[in-house]
Amino acid sequence: MINKKNTKAQEEMVGFALILILVAIIFIVLLSSYIKKSNSDNVVSPEVNSFVQAFLQYTTKCEQDSENLTIQRLIFKCQEKEICSYNMNSCKVLNDTLKSIIKESWNVGEENPVKGYSLIIFSENAQILNLTEGVVTNNYKGSEQDFGKGDEFISILFNAYS
Amino acid sequence: MVIKKGFLKRKKAQMKNKEIFQLLHKKNGQMKIQQMSFMLLGVFLFFALVGMIILTIKFSDLKQSATDLEEQNAMLLVTKLANSPEFSCGEAYGNQKTDCIDEDKVMMLKENINKYVNFWGVSNIEIKRIYPENKNIECTLSNYPNCDTIKLINKSSSGYDKFNFVALCRKENYKDSVVNKCEIAKLIIRYEEIK
Repeated sequence: MINKKNTKAQEEMVGFALILILVAIIFIVLLSSYIKKSNSDNVVSPEVNSFVQAFLQYTTKCEQDSENLTIQRLIFKCQEKEICSYNMNSCKVLNDTLKSIIKESWNVGEENPVKGYSLIIFSENAQILNLTEGVVTNNYKGSEQDFGKGDEFISILFNAYS
Repeated sequence: MVIKKGFLKRKKAQMKNKEIFQLLHKKNGQMKIQQMSFMLLGVFLFFALVGMIILTIKFSDLKQSATDLEEQNAMLLVTKLANSPEFSCGEAYGNQKTDCIDEDKVMMLKENINKYVNFWGVSNIEIKRIYPENKNIECTLSNYPNCDTIKLINKSSSGYDKFNFVALCRKENYKDSVVNKCEIAKLIIRYEEIK
């Protein structure tokens, strides 16, 4: 009689444990899908993509043959360490222009939605420009774009941290 | 006679014991059925409650979903609008460029905007120059290009704004020749909130 009672109690315990395991699995599945969803915020953003595309076309103060260069062309000029008309340093023009554009476009600040940014322009051989300001967090919107001229390839990496 | 009486008495007692035993067993079975039915009722009530909670959340979220859908549409529209024939630079400024708006073209579009009011299905379309610095001067044919904001569609309505960065390009006279000048702007679209 005691043996029968013990077996029954064991069966009930196994049943209870099975239910607990089932609930735990459902909970883990829901939790993982939620975490995956929140991680997907850190992806390439169309907003940042369009920003990079737009600033590449911006007409700078750097002049060459009576024509002002776009940032895209200025990057190559800076890479070659060439000088613009009126003895302007191409890399300084690039640096100053990009800093001002980012300042006006993203309104970076600790109390603002965008806490910081990083912009890195590099070629296969060397880094051309590295601008970083504000706080770097794990939550960011980013974009990476490549373009080339002849055999040379340039990559642009821009992240806006929030 | 005495033996027979004793036998009968014992038999009677045995019968009584058997009845009690049967009754006890019957009661135990009833108890188990009752337990089972309570359990089933409990499980049914639990799932009904969970279902009701899920339904309530879903239905209360319906309005939010409609607004989210509007937002998504606006985001898609704002990304493709800059590359639509009415706005894009095409090959007027060298190679085909993405996210490039022809400012001269947009000013002409502004003059004929009555034909396009319901074309994109949004309540506001605005192009705001952000670099070089914005002085918040609205563009008209008389002050163009010394202005910052082109308001294409401006229906007075509440809603949410979505924007995209664009290069705002125009042709300019410089040292007796025509040159390209591109600046940074935001293309802003307003979509209506679902009421």
